[in-house]
Amino acid sequence: MASSPSQNPLSPTEIIERLRAQFGQDVVRGEEVHGHAVVTVTPGRYHEMATFLRDEPDLDFDFFDFLTGVDFTPKGRGFDAVTHVYSTGHNHHARLKVECDAERPHCPTISDVWPGANWFERETAELFGIDFDGHPHLVKLVLPEQFEGHPLRKDFALMSREAKPWPGAVEGEEIDE
Amino acid sequence: MPQPVKFILNWGRRYSLWVMNFGLACCAIELIATSTSKHDFIRLGVIPFAHGPRQADMLVVAGTLTDKMAPALKRVYDQIPDPKYVISFGSCSNCGGPYWDSYSVTKGVDQIVPVDVYVPGCPPRPEALLHGIIKLQEKIGKEDIREKWSGKLTQPEPSFTY
Repeated sequence: MASSPSQNPLSPTEIIERLRAQFGQDVVRGEEVHGHAVVTVTPGRYHEMATFLRDEPDLDFDFFDFLTGVDFTPKGRGFDAVTHVYSTGHNHHARLKVECDAERPHCPTISDVWPGANWFERETAELFGIDFDGHPHLVKLVLPEQFEGHPLRKDFALMSREAKPWPGAVEGEEIDE
Repeated sequence: MPQPVKFILNWGRRYSLWVMNFGLACCAIELIATSTSKHDFIRLGVIPFAHGPRQADMLVVAGTLTDKMAPALKRVYDQIPDPKYVISFGSCSNCGGPYWDSYSVTKGVDQIVPVDVYVPGCPPRPEALLHGIIKLQEKIGKEDIREKWSGKLTQPEPSFTY
């Protein structure tokens, strides 16, 4: 817990440098996006980095914002699990990404680091089919119990669109150009 | 039944409609606005809001019905005593609306309960609901009471389980 609001939050570059110094090669990528530090970490040290972000006094990421998934299978990759955290003491943000494989996407849970991640991981698990190893209660959160499939995956068949294709631009077209 | 008796009975019923509020999304705000002083559907004899489905005559489904919520709608509808009426308010409850291709949204509440009047719009203005209520009252005015009160039109299927 920070005792008083910091007047000097760490810049995204400083946060990335701090993590590179601690985790070395396990920081796969570090970049600044929209003024936030975005760090991709190997699954092996994902949990350790989450704990590090929370517990280091100069980082002090005490507020868990959200966790979600991204489906990159049309791009020939697997899934990303993305965690956004914030420091109420220092007023700086960071996003933590971990890459999961396409066949059986899974990564460690961080619900023991930030309890707020618990329900977000359940939601990500049911919507994207990403398993969070070590999660205390990984059952469906928002979908009906009998629901089959992972609806936010790109290959999930929407029955309405099978009958009538999407009339606008196909998703991804805008990004590719 | 003699025509004057039928007229009087239907006249009494059409101007005393206790409404069950089934607000599910932003359309519910328009429904509530219709019940307040500016638009004031009480002047049409629509009484906001019934204390529960067992005291209601009419159900207004206002908003996005999801497949997960659908059994609850069916349960509320089955609890309303006959004769009962349903207004589907807004594009989402009419047909899914902007969520026409969603994995979770029911594409029209008429898949779950029989609907008397559809009010289009996203969301419809309160005036549109007033118009829908007048249309429903015209329908009630023409009804054969014996058939409607028999419950044959609205009885739940015996096989239905929640």
